[in-house]
Amino acid sequence: MSSDTTAAHGHAEEVSVWPLVISAGILFALPFAFALQFVYHNGLMAALSLGLGVPMIVLGIVGWTREAIGTAGPAEGLTPPAMGWFILAEALIFLSFFATYWVLRLSSPAWPPEGTPEMPILLPAIMTVVLVSSSFTIHWAEERAEKGDRNGFLKWLLISMGLGVAFLAMSATEWSHLIHEGFVPGSNVYSTSFFSITGFHGAHVVVGLGIFVAMLIPALRGTLSDGLIRSGSMYWHFVDIIWLFVVSQVYYW
Amino acid sequence: MFDRIKARACGLGGLAVGALATLPAWAGYERIPGEVDTARGWEELWHEVMVDITIIGIIFAAVTFWFLFRYRRRSPEEEGRQPRLSPMAAIGWAIIPAFAFMADDFFLAAKGWSLWNDYRTVPEDRLEIQLESAMWTWDYTYPNGVRTFNELRVPAGKPILLRMTSRDTIHSHWIPDFRVKEDSMPGRTTYLWFQPKEVGEHVVTCAEYCGHLHSRMTGKLIVMAPEEFDQWYNEAATRIQTASSEQKGGA
Amino acid sequence: MATLREWIFTTDHKKVGILYLIGSIAAFGVAGIMALLMRAELSAPGPTLTDNPTDYNVWLYFHGAAMILGFQIPALTGFLANFLVPLQIGAKDVAFPRLNALSVWLFYAGIILALMTFIIPDPPDVMWTGYPPYSEISVGNTAFYSFTVLLLGFASILGGVNFLTTITFMRAPGLGWNKLNIFTWSTFAAFILQLIFVPVLGTAVTMIMFDKYLGTHFFTPDQGGDVLIYQNLFWFYSHPAVYVILLPFIGIVFDIVATFARNRVFNYKMVVYGGMGGIVLLAGEVWIHHLYVTGMPDWLRVGQMVTTLLISVPVGLLFIGLVGTLYKGSIELKTPMLYAVSVIFLMLIGGLTGIPLAMTALDIHVSDSYFIVGHFHYVMAVSGTFAIFGGVYYLYPKMTGRMYNETIGKISFWISFVGVNIIFFPMMMAGLAGMPRRYWDYSQFEGLEGYHQIMSVGAALIGIGFFLALINWIQALFTGEKAPDNPWGSRSLEWTTTSPPGHGNWPEIPKIAPEWHPYGYGEDAPDPVGGGSLSPAAARERER
Ligand code: HEA
Ligand code: HEA
Ligand code: CUA
Ligand SMILES: [Cu+2]
Repeated sequence: MSSDTTAAHGHAEEVSVWPLVISAGILFALPFAFALQFVYHNGLMAALSLGLGVPMIVLGIVGWTREAIGTAGPAEGLTPPAMGWFILAEALIFLSFFATYWVLRLSSPAWPPEGTPEMPILLPAIMTVVLVSSSFTIHWAEERAEKGDRNGFLKWLLISMGLGVAFLAMSATEWSHLIHEGFVPGSNVYSTSFFSITGFHGAHVVVGLGIFVAMLIPALRGTLSDGLIRSGSMYWHFVDIIWLFVVSQVYYW
Repeated sequence: MFDRIKARACGLGGLAVGALATLPAWAGYERIPGEVDTARGWEELWHEVMVDITIIGIIFAAVTFWFLFRYRRRSPEEEGRQPRLSPMAAIGWAIIPAFAFMADDFFLAAKGWSLWNDYRTVPEDRLEIQLESAMWTWDYTYPNGVRTFNELRVPAGKPILLRMTSRDTIHSHWIPDFRVKEDSMPGRTTYLWFQPKEVGEHVVTCAEYCGHLHSRMTGKLIVMAPEEFDQWYNEAATRIQTASSEQKGGA
Repeated sequence: MATLREWIFTTDHKKVGILYLIGSIAAFGVAGIMALLMRAELSAPGPTLTDNPTDYNVWLYFHGAAMILGFQIPALTGFLANFLVPLQIGAKDVAFPRLNALSVWLFYAGIILALMTFIIPDPPDVMWTGYPPYSEISVGNTAFYSFTVLLLGFASILGGVNFLTTITFMRAPGLGWNKLNIFTWSTFAAFILQLIFVPVLGTAVTMIMFDKYLGTHFFTPDQGGDVLIYQNLFWFYSHPAVYVILLPFIGIVFDIVATFARNRVFNYKMVVYGGMGGIVLLAGEVWIHHLYVTGMPDWLRVGQMVTTLLISVPVGLLFIGLVGTLYKGSIELKTPMLYAVSVIFLMLIGGLTGIPLAMTALDIHVSDSYFIVGHFHYVMAVSGTFAIFGGVYYLYPKMTGRMYNETIGKISFWISFVGVNIIFFPMMMAGLAGMPRRYWDYSQFEGLEGYHQIMSVGAALIGIGFFLALINWIQALFTGEKAPDNPWGSRSLEWTTTSPPGHGNWPEIPKIAPEWHPYGYGEDAPDPVGGGSLSPAAARERER
């Protein structure tokens, strides 16, 4: 990303502060905040730690993206294969959750276990339609970008983002509805699997939207970074395919 | 030249495959039905495996030593003269050792499998005892309701089956002298069996990390003469009966 | 000399690699000191150093977790991979240098989190395996265990993405797949394993944390959960993890052996495709051998006995390649070579003792005993550490531009070599005699004291040996002789650049001629960098 092919021997060192900032941010925002809140029950310190960590992460990502704009080196074209490897790793996270869910479910004497309310049928169907269509729209956006049509790209990108946000909103409504009925992660093994799988999937939608933002900013400034767009849309298709598993396994099975 | 190598490689490959095919025959582990003794079987197999791996280890180590000595550097400019392998030789050097190793693996697997069957098939005339482990004790319950803690009394000569579960964390019931161990855990029932032959005392110890007193979770296995055992067993049973009737009377 | 700023904010793969080295050696030192504390505690029956078993359990937790996750995996797939792979494939840097810097700092975050074990109240005492239900009911801070694993795992995944892309797409022109160094291949294989399996471990430890702190029921049997799911997920990663360690350490041993025997690697394709490929294919089908005594279904236990035994086939092919590389070589036993050759012997002991363990029925007796502890120290703690130390000595001139002290190097090698055998061989015998692992006290058993005392003596020896090595490295940094570019007379690409290599590694990307091979000893081939010839005489001429 940053190396300059023509750099002469002994050229000035390449440096970047952002990786360090981001990992320090992660340290504060995740382990420290979590442990302070849930292990040591010190809400104030947890909030402080979170308040320190999250801005560092955001700052780090912004700084990194800005540094990367314009210095796109030879590795730019390598982001899609790299994303492919990353998706392999992600797929295995979901596979582990699903495997756990299958084992729990198949060894359970009765299903759904006690304490499970009536699960919605219509909403997940609508969510599926929304997410699947966003896969199409991002594909069109990618096509426009390849043709260099910046406005077309922006249009379809924004529509995809809108669909993603709509999906998250529906998911949130559903969660709050279920939690209202007393169906919380601790209710039984089904709720455990339900909330963790849909939650993890939702988190991936959020990350996908984050990548979209990273595609949007340079586009608004007038540059289209091909590698990023292709890998961003790969990631989105992946999140979409996983959802099909979530729907079929967790909602309708 | 090439044909000779080819022929030789094919011949050796064929030999390896042939050896493989006859494996089940010479892996036959002579079992006398009804008289299984896993501890003895364990000792025998362990011994065989040790011999097997020692031979392999010595071969590899000896060749390495020989090469280190034979091909030490004699002048600072010398470079190695490893001959190039012909394609057939290269393939042969992969396939033949692979089959040789596989033959040994399947041989060991077959032996291991027979012993494993002994470990899992419990004779019918057994004494079945329930075990519930907890941090950090072993609670045994006998068929007639007698309960003991950290002390497993059994008659000599009889196969003993433990059906195990746990109240809290995972424990592992290990009787080193009888070469058996199996975990006990909440939510599942596991079993192990052994057959003590002689009167004596043995250590029972916990092999799975289960909390801070893990190392103090030891008990005793007391093998008694059958008559003595019966006496203890019946007395203990009467003691519970009187205890429970006293309780009823008191209530 | 580079400034501090250039080190901390660096994105250069060589500096990142050295940062990995410093962090992992620190983890090794602290975890080694924990081992010495444990050995002191066990040097006599009954309480000796501490009468609180929890202290011992915390040391042991830190020792296991830090040695595997904080020392070996980062030293092999962080330090060695970072420093060597771009040099061996003729690239100026990795594909994503900034991502690489993020990996190394995530690794440091993980190490810091692990080190905090010693300052937080209620430190984790869940052992490196973290089995529920204990890890969920322990008063210890299991969250730190989970997050340590998650941070180090995330660093590995990013590293994997980076290196797989780098090796696939950034090889110098003309450098085909069959011209890669064995070490580069092993990194490739190890990172494939990391990418596939680390996420599973991450999921497992996340579930523990959810169960303990957020009230879910993955592993709580009274609510329908299942304690064995965790063990399956954990070992589904952690068995392949041992090959993540094995592959790169065998890889570097191959490179060292080829260099100091100045010889072609024996049957290169068998080593790469049969050995490494075989391990990658089999690694994921053997995890049940860690669950032989947990009551898994019988067919799984015997089924995976067979697959586990079959692992000896690809590992055996690697051994044939390794020993064959010595054949008709020109062998010089310098310090790196001593370490590398000793790995052959030590790994034979460790690997072959894995065979009885693989046999379900035999493992029933020795599982969770000191026999296991002996097995894995031989195969991992000793072979792995020796390979890493050999690797550091081997690359020392290239990294620092200076030579280490050969005499101290050899002395420290022999002390450690004797030490490890004194400690880890009796360990196996103690295990057979009935010594369970993770015991803080063994006064209830008879006849084990002798073994434990011998082991404690051995531990002190290893401590001295490794400490000497460390001293040697630090001292040579200041007083070592200046190193030539290619002190070992190696043919492979990393030695064609200056010691230490400048930024960008070469003024121009090397050009690989069809006749060139990293192990093409005894033949003449054009030099990929300076033109000219690669014969030893020509090389010596250039050195002048
Ligand atoms: C680098 C690390 C590493 C490596 C490479 C290995 C390699 C192997 N390990 Fe080991 N193992 C561990 C690290 C490692 N292990 C650790 C850390 C644990 C304990 C974890 C814990 O519980 O905390 C463990 C535990 C462990 C167990 C579980 C025991 C138990 O808990 O009950 C088993 C059981 O099968 C096992 C088997 C093997 C086998 C068969 C190999 C094989 O890969 C070995 C193959 C090598 C050879 C066989 C030698 C060379 C080959 C030849 C010379 C060819 C000819 C040979 C034959 C035909 C036999 N290991
Ligand atoms: C790569 C991994 C690795 C390495 C290198 C080691 C190295 C050592 N290990 Fe360990 N060990 C494990 C991995 C490793 N171990 C694992 C995974 C477990 C199981 C954990 C569990 O059960 O959960 C274990 C368990 C274990 C036990 C079992 C305890 C028990 O079950 O109760 C013992 C007991 O003797 C032991 C001893 C040692 C010793 C003496 C060394 C020695 O070789 C250490 C020598 C090193 C030093 C002495 C450091 C020297 C360096 C310096 C002095 C530098 C100065 C320091 C700084 C600059 C900071 N280890
Ligand atoms: Cu019970 Cu360990
Ligand atoms: Cu394993």
